[in-house]
Amino acid sequence: MPDPVDPCRVSELPLDELVACHECDLLMRKPHLALGEKAQCPRCGYELYAHRYKVVERSLALVIAALLLYIPANFLPIMQLNLLGQASQDTVWSGVLGLFNTGMQGIAVVVFLCSMGIPLLKLLCQLAVLLSIRWNIGRSYGLLIYRIYHHLRDWGMLEVYLMGVLVAIVKLADLAELSLGLGLVCFISLLLVQVWLEVVMSPHQIWQALSGEDIHAGD
Amino acid sequence: MRAIDAGILICGECHELNRQDPETDEQTCTRCGALVHARRPDSLMRTWALLLTSAILYIPANLLPIMTINSLGQGSPSTIMAGVIELVQHGMIPIAAVVFVASILVPTFKLVGIALLLFSVQRHQPLSARQRIIMYRFIEFIGRWSMLDIFVIAILVAVVNFGRIASIEANLGAVAFASVVVLTMLAAVTFDPRLIWDNTESDDDHE
Repeated sequence: MPDPVDPCRVSELPLDELVACHECDLLMRKPHLALGEKAQCPRCGYELYAHRYKVVERSLALVIAALLLYIPANFLPIMQLNLLGQASQDTVWSGVLGLFNTGMQGIAVVVFLCSMGIPLLKLLCQLAVLLSIRWNIGRSYGLLIYRIYHHLRDWGMLEVYLMGVLVAIVKLADLAELSLGLGLVCFISLLLVQVWLEVVMSPHQIWQALSGEDIHAGD
Repeated sequence: MRAIDAGILICGECHELNRQDPETDEQTCTRCGALVHARRPDSLMRTWALLLTSAILYIPANLLPIMTINSLGQGSPSTIMAGVIELVQHGMIPIAAVVFVASILVPTFKLVGIALLLFSVQRHQPLSARQRIIMYRFIEFIGRWSMLDIFVIAILVAVVNFGRIASIEANLGAVAFASVVVLTMLAAVTFDPRLIWDNTESDDDHE
């Protein structure tokens, strides 16, 4: 754990030897982390930053995997319902369309953003940032895009959507004949890859690599 | 010691440290270019405004029907609570519990919890800093899960689509409910957790 700094000497220390907790504003001497370690705030327990291995390569692989899964996850049927000889299919996109066509445009937009729009934008932002680090181009755009990513972060809700699918399955299972589709498998895979990506892509290292403070930050 | 006391500002976006410049009001981060503030501006006021709006919308969200199930020409509107009761009557207790927690307990807890946080930061009462930060993190983490019911409606509308035999449509209650969820999430974002620690500097600094 990092040490809180001695108040009388703090103003003399250069900024790059200090770290402040984002959640409680405690000022500390910056600890040196080995690969795979992480630093937590001693006062409130917030994770200050982590130092992970080969961040850019591993994240790039995961982003590309997630983008490949995105289309089948959203456009292949999640489930199929048979009632009195009629069949109807559900995809993430058809849910949005269904709401939109029944006059609930506001909710359709919210559902679209939380389950499709923002998750896609997040992935595209991550891809742009990683490519900008990897090819060493457009770092200033990279910084801007990474800021946008952090604002979008809370609003992608794939895991909540998956829970919604489960609730809907349970609700419908008694009423009609229900079969699950390939879309559900793709959706779950997309969710898992995305969670893994958020763990791997350690923000502190990305910011450092983007700003060129440390050329080996993403290694 | 807090960063603010040392004249150091943390960038809210990239967490870079910046020395405070007394000359200007609008300082930007040296790394990412975002505006930096010692504390989020008007954090308490904005959070209160969002909280009160969502508290007002909370009433229609719970009283108005969120969806109507049309079956063979008969429509039966259903509110959030009615949906939970129906699940219980069908014997699906675990799923009923999930829906109850996500759609009723969580929004209520968030409204009360954010109000308590704001109140205890303003009045230096009645929770300790540790209790408040646990509460804040819990609210921040749990907020998104209230969207569950909205997603369930989206799925049901799409899949139960058999014309006259059976169909489901969303109602105004769902609009109010979605607004409550979005507004309380915004309130959690606007609230600056550093305020929690500002008036407890003496007792929690040396552990």
